[in-house]
Amino acid sequence: MFGNKIKLDKDLLERCKLISEKRGYSSVEEFIAHTLEKELSAKETTSDEEEEEISKRLKGLGYL
Amino acid sequence: MKFNNVFSLSHILTAIFAFALLLGYGLSESSIKNTDTKVLVIGFDGMDPILLERLIKEGKMPNFERLMKTGGFKPLKTSIPPQSPVAWSNFITGMNPGGHGIFDFIHRETKTMIPYLSTSKTEDAKKKITIGDWAIPLSSGKVTLLRHGKAFWEVLEDHGVPTTIFRAPANFPPIDVPVVQLSGMGTPDIQGTYGTFSFYTDGNTNEFEDVSGGKVFPVRVMNNKVESKIFGPQNVFKKSKPQTFIDFSVFIDPENLVAKITVQDHQILLKEGEWSEWVALDFELIPFLESVSGICRFYLKEVRPDFKLYVTPVNIDPSSPAMPISTPDNYSEELYEELGFFYTQGIPEDTKALTEKVLEDSEFLEQANIVFKEELDMFDYELSKFKSGLLFFYFGRVDQLSHMFWRTMDSDHPAHEPATEHRMLIENIYQEADAVLKKALNQLDSNTTIIVISDHGFAPFYRSFNLNTWLKNEGYVSLVDDSEGGFLQNVDWSQTRAYGMGFNGLYLNLEGREIKGVVQPGVEKNALMEEISKKLLTIRDLETGKQVISRVYSAEEIYKGQYVKDAPDLIVGYNKGFRASTETVLGKFPKGLLKDNLDKWSGDHLIEAKFVPGILLSNKKIQSANPALYDIAPTILAEFGIPKQEWMVGKRVFNN
Repeated sequence: MFGNKIKLDKDLLERCKLISEKRGYSSVEEFIAHTLEKELSAKETTSDEEEEEISKRLKGLGYL
Repeated sequence: MKFNNVFSLSHILTAIFAFALLLGYGLSESSIKNTDTKVLVIGFDGMDPILLERLIKEGKMPNFERLMKTGGFKPLKTSIPPQSPVAWSNFITGMNPGGHGIFDFIHRETKTMIPYLSTSKTEDAKKKITIGDWAIPLSSGKVTLLRHGKAFWEVLEDHGVPTTIFRAPANFPPIDVPVVQLSGMGTPDIQGTYGTFSFYTDGNTNEFEDVSGGKVFPVRVMNNKVESKIFGPQNVFKKSKPQTFIDFSVFIDPENLVAKITVQDHQILLKEGEWSEWVALDFELIPFLESVSGICRFYLKEVRPDFKLYVTPVNIDPSSPAMPISTPDNYSEELYEELGFFYTQGIPEDTKALTEKVLEDSEFLEQANIVFKEELDMFDYELSKFKSGLLFFYFGRVDQLSHMFWRTMDSDHPAHEPATEHRMLIENIYQEADAVLKKALNQLDSNTTIIVISDHGFAPFYRSFNLNTWLKNEGYVSLVDDSEGGFLQNVDWSQTRAYGMGFNGLYLNLEGREIKGVVQPGVEKNALMEEISKKLLTIRDLETGKQVISRVYSAEEIYKGQYVKDAPDLIVGYNKGFRASTETVLGKFPKGLLKDNLDKWSGDHLIEAKFVPGILLSNKKIQSANPALYDIAPTILAEFGIPKQEWMVGKRVFNN
């Protein structure tokens, strides 16, 4: 699943393992990948919407 | 910073819904001093001392000449950088940008690098409950004035001096003091922007693909009828915050060049080339319970062969404002009762519609004349009431029309049209300003102190410069891809040491300040600033050999106050003729460093401050050898026997 290796703090990894088991993920890797994907997707969407809003607001300024 | 609650919410009868109530302004009792002293300050944004002096010598400005001979006329040192929100903030607070925190039209969030308009911020309610599609706020949203420091009129109010502040820039929302205020530059339209026009046409819209400052709506004429929508504010009561809209129809006369617009309860009959009066529209947020009122005007540009209809930005309705635009809160309603509807957006001249070629020169001038007529009516009204204390009145016409029509009087400008009918336009608007001054001089007694100022002068805008591209080429910026990008979103911050944002700002990617800062404060920062400053001064326009940047300031060298830490590290002072490009201002990296400015926006002032001082005239002798904008606040206070306040960096210009 992971093309590149990422180092995680021991405590953080333990916490991930606990939650992934509780929530029924097939592996801790699956849980981490899913969590990251959700987080990135939220940020990307916000960024696109934000950009459009910001662009609209700023470009009303005659100087631009 | 000053806070104001924005939205008006009401309790619904069921237990589930809860709404916060709009908190109005309560004017506290203030012991108004019975003062005979009167001070009138007129601000003509963008009036240039060199142009003014020439026109006075030519005998074309008799009232300015009269004022000059009575008291004096000197250039007025502007702000660094010479941008209106910065300059007017200097005037308002008597501080420089280090004290009031406004450094540019555009600032950036250090955590996201997202730019924002510097003088105010609007936030939705933080807490909401969601029911289906609805998101009901449990508290009010708020709009915040971001200019720090005390306005000089707060000091006047502390001393009981009656004060009216009419459309001062960088005063939205107006600060919550018992002073009569109408907010000016910085006041948004109903969509929360600086002004978004609408243009409806069944003609070719290819040329309008990337329009800014407005929206073009392709429409179809079916059986002599057009149907479309006018857009209003976002509906914050809905989860997806969709934009509200109102349907409207246009019935086109099949034989004559006439059309009838029907929208809500209104029916507006217009001939081709005719402007409507203001039309009030209700944008529904919650059926039967909550709506927002806005006003707009229609201009029937063409009936046939192509249908073309321009609609002004939908302005906040002064008779029922959705956002705080005046103090006391019923003052805008009082003006409406007296004078009818009027433009409430901070910069009402629709320069974008002209730049984007939605309006022609003459049509834009008609629109600008509507604005000016309203301002003159308001000026007459305020002058008629002015019995005591301070009246400040602002006109933006000279600034906006100088921006758009510099090309008509400057044959060196790339956008110059030799056959233009508007060659004398800028001279004419100066003469209009002279007529405004005449009204004041004729109505006021000789005991009134009159001060006329501008915030900056003007220069040609011939060539635009891509600062961010230069920084990239010189190795100060690293990009993740080769695209033009936008808002610095394609910057590799781990390899980037400096970036441009705003019209004159250059920031270092500083550790501890920027979210992914790499430059160490102290020795590394100082060395980098010096290196970049020296290099900037060596840039030459390969076409003309001219120096592009004539001065680079460091914030620590020129600013004083607790907000110096928020300033750009370097402030770029462009040489005459040059200015930052739109692309670089918005964090883009286009190819090439310089290009001709072929836009109708042909004059500007976002350059080295020494090239664009403003004006100062008065009927009192100006003793100060080199007066500056931040001197005006202590000068006004002194007229009322109030000492200069400890935070003010200037000094009075008269010897009282």
